[in-house]
Formats: sequence, structure tokens, C-alpha cells
Amino acid sequence: MEVTEVLILITSFVVFLGIGVPIAWSIGLSGIVTLLVSIDSLPAFTTYAQRMATGLDSFTLLAIPFFVLAGQLINKGGLAQRLILLAKNMMGSLPGGLAHVNIVAAMLFGAIAGSAVAAATAIGSILGPRMEEEGYSKEFGAAVNITSSTTGLLIPPSNILIVYSLASGGVSIAALFIAGYLPGILTGFMLMVVAAIWAKKKGFPVGERTKFSELYKSFLDAIPALFLLVIVIGGIIAGIFTATEASAIAVIYTLGLGFFYKELKVKELPKIFLDSVSTTSIVLLLIATSIAMSWVMSFEEIPQTVSASLLALSDNPIVILLMINLILLGVGTFMDMTPAVLIFTPIFLPIVMEMGIDPIHFGIIMILNLSIGLCTPPVGSVLFIGVGVAGTTISKVIKPLLPLFIAMIVALMLITFFPQISLWLPSLFGF
Amino acid sequence: MNKLNTYLGYFLAFLMGIMLSSVCWQVFSRYILSSPSSFTDELARYLLIWIGLLGGAYASGQGMHLAIDLLPTKLEGKSQIRLNVLINILVILFVLGALVVGGLRLVYITYSLGQTSAAMQIPLAYVYIILPISGLLIITYKIRDILALNNPKSTQNKA
Repeated sequence: MEVTEVLILITSFVVFLGIGVPIAWSIGLSGIVTLLVSIDSLPAFTTYAQRMATGLDSFTLLAIPFFVLAGQLINKGGLAQRLILLAKNMMGSLPGGLAHVNIVAAMLFGAIAGSAVAAATAIGSILGPRMEEEGYSKEFGAAVNITSSTTGLLIPPSNILIVYSLASGGVSIAALFIAGYLPGILTGFMLMVVAAIWAKKKGFPVGERTKFSELYKSFLDAIPALFLLVIVIGGIIAGIFTATEASAIAVIYTLGLGFFYKELKVKELPKIFLDSVSTTSIVLLLIATSIAMSWVMSFEEIPQTVSASLLALSDNPIVILLMINLILLGVGTFMDMTPAVLIFTPIFLPIVMEMGIDPIHFGIIMILNLSIGLCTPPVGSVLFIGVGVAGTTISKVIKPLLPLFIAMIVALMLITFFPQISLWLPSLFGF
Repeated sequence: MNKLNTYLGYFLAFLMGIMLSSVCWQVFSRYILSSPSSFTDELARYLLIWIGLLGGAYASGQGMHLAIDLLPTKLEGKSQIRLNVLINILVILFVLGALVVGGLRLVYITYSLGQTSAAMQIPLAYVYIILPISGLLIITYKIRDILALNNPKSTQNKA
């Protein structure tokens, strides 16, 4: 019976994590402890080493460091400012103007870069101080920035959708990318509704309507940045290049634009490269240990055990999806997104596929669900960044975060129970 | 130790540069030269393994790996130090087992079987050697952290 292994795995993981062992090592340790129950130590160590190395041996994963680097270059190269200005001219005159500017800027940023952390840093540091000047509370600004930057995880290009493609055993990245647009925009829209209500209640200022000529000018200014979207997404969908190649092209393009705008200097490059390497390698180490742990789980036949017990509770797809959503919401609070996707996709995907749920649809559900976890303590990388950039504390930001969480959960429920939101656009492209 | 960190940082940035050039060359050779390069795919993948593990060691040296630090920050004085030492020892145990011992055995097996890569024909042992190297680096950093914990003058107590 595999129940013992399940218990060992979960207990040891929770203990390691709880006493403060970094997540990547907690995953590695609990995986190896579980493996040592059934095989000898030397083969267990060797297998683990091999799984970690071969886990990273993937051309698909290469897109992650490149998209992270492109995100940094977008920040440093003056592209982010141009996008934010465009968003400001578009949305500034709505109630709670700057909050909407933040959300739209995050979606635009998400449409050209692959990481939520980069968006939260760039937009929070530029818009945060201005929101405060105009009378918004620091905490509300931070809460909007934190939640809205996760929309970029659904709006392509998206590193986490690439990770899901890998974990699901090859769901098309192009299909996942197209599928992400509507759910990402829907989530952004939900956040805007809540922000507008909140701003009206608190009497936050409404910006002046921008002249059309100004809007037009800021749009022209942002075109080179937005053109990245055409190159990357267009290139991938048209089959001109793979996601990885597109990410490398994105780096070259943003590098070129940064120099063209004279905002980048050659001597800054090693620092920018190193920054993205260290950000990436944190993710890569998580990927390596998660893939090894995922292998241990399938070796111990843990997915079958979990699936049997879930299916014993109910065979109604709606109930199963709700249960999976609840489990993932719980997992998301203490686990970073990448390991969660790598570890739970092999467990849940077979179950939902058996019920006729499309793997593209499930991927979108999973990413949106875990996005909520990125904004919640105790482990929430976007929460940490957003709070850090705004110079406030986690406990203060929780109150304004709550209504925004509700907006995200409503979006999650809509996306879970209306597969068309995720699948309609891909179907137009023949996926 | 700081010097080691700086050099490691430059080396990693350099690897990233090569990895980027390699993928760009792949696109260039396919579309502009119309003779797709055969080695770029493999080179970039192996560089990713190196960057992931060596970068993991670098990040470990900087205390950058994400952890839930509720318990370590709640405790005070001696017990806090003891817990942090325990965390570092657990990391060392895992790294020693999986990366150093497991990694060395993997290098030994692939080397004695003479396994080479498909495109570049380099011994796979060269790729896997980064496992024990990164492992030893991490252990060095963690021992440094433990020593710093027991030295009250130092403020460094990250896991």
C-alpha cells in the first residue's frame, strides 16, 4: 500500500518547510526521505542527482531565463515607463484612476514579459509614489499592484504556462498562450471593478481626461514596446520559431531598444545578466528538485493513490474541480507556483482528463488558482515584492487585499465552469 | 569568500551570454544561412543545467532561496541560533547525499561507460560534474553560515 509513502512525503515536507528550510531544499529532502524508504541509499542518491540534472535538460525551459532577462531589460531600458504612460492616458479619468492605470499597465507588461515579479517591481516602483501623492493609501496601491501583476502570468508570454506545458507532458505552448488572453483580461477586469467600487467609497481622486492628441502620442511612443508582442506571440503562433527562440529574440530586441532609447549602458549589462541569472536559478533549483520529487511520487505510485481517494469521494466533474481548486488554493498559500505546478499537474491532470476536461482549460484554472497563492502569506513571492516596493508591511496590506482576492476567486470560478473562456480563442486557431 | 562570490557571479553572467548567443545562432543559422546548426540546442540545454545548479549554489551563498521564516524569526537568542544551525545542517545533508555523493557516482558511471552526447560528442560526465561542484560550493557556504551563527559579532544568519 502506498499510503505510508504519501504520509512520509507530506509529513516530512511540512516539517522541513515549517521549521524554515528553504522550499527548494524542503522538496529535495522530503523526496529523498520518501525514496529511502523503498530503495538503498546509494542508488537513491544517484537517481536523485540524475533526475535533477535531466529535469533541467530541456530546450523548453530555456525560455525562462530569457524571458526573465527580457523583463529586466524592459524595466531598465525605458520600455516600462512608456507602457505605464500609455496606460495612464487610457485609464486615468476613471474613478480610482491610478488603480486602473496600475492594472492596465500590469496587463500590458504581462503581454510583453513573462514574469509577475518583474511587473510588480517595475509598476509598483513607478506608480506607487504617484498614487500616494494623489491621496491613495500606500496599502491600497500595493494591494492593487500585487494582485494585478499576476494577470501577466495568464497573458502570454508566460513562463509558468511553459512550465505547465512541460509538466503536462507536452500540451502545446502556442495553444496555452492563446488560451491565456481572455482569462487574464477577465481577471484584470474583475480587479478593476473592485478597485472602482473601493475608490468610490473612499473618495479617491479622479484624474483629468487626457487630450486625444496626448493619448495618441503615448500610443506611438509605446508601439516599439508593443511590437514585441507581435514578434514573440506572432512568431510562436505562426510557427516561425519556438517559445524558447522567441524568448531569445525578445532579449535581443529589448536590448536593442534599450540602447536606442539611450537608457542602457554596456557596462550595466553584466549586472543585469547576473541579476536575471540569480532570479532564474532560484526557479531552476526549484524545478530541479520538484521534477525529482515528482519522479519519486510516480515511482511510489502516489498519483494513483490520490486519484483513487479523490474519485472515491465523488465522480461528478464539478465537485472534483471544486475540490481540486480548494486543494490548490491551500497549496498555493505555502508553496511557490513553479513547484506546485510541477508536482500537482501529474497528480490532477489524469483525473480531470478522465472526466473529459481539456488539459489547456485545466492549465489555465491551475495557474489562476495558484496566482492567488502568490499574493497570500506565508509564502507569496509577488506579495513580498509588492510590499517591499511600496515600503509597507504584509499585515497592513491584507485588508485592502481581501476584496481583490474575492475578485480573483470570482474570476477563477467563472473560468473553471465556463471552459469557453479559455478554449474559444485557441479553437479559432485550430487547437 | 566574497571574492569567490564575485567571480562566480561573473562566470554565471558569462554562461548566460553564451546560452543566449547559442539560441540566437540557432534561429540565425536556420533562417538566414538556411543550414540549421546541429549543436546549439544541446549546448544551450547543457548550459542551462550548469546555470541552474551553479546559480543555485550562488543564490544559496546569498541566502536568496525562498523559505517560510515564521518559526526562525519567532524564536530568540540561543534557540534561534540552534534552529538556524539545524536548517543549515539539513541543507548540507541533502546536498551531500544527492549532489555530491549521487552526483559523483553519476559522473563515475557515465564516464566509465564512455557515454557521450548526441550532437557535440562530449562525455556526459563533463555535464554532470557540475552536480558535485555545486554541491561542494553550497556546503562551503552553509558551513560559513553555521560558523557565522556561532560568532555573535556577525549578523549573517540566513539559511
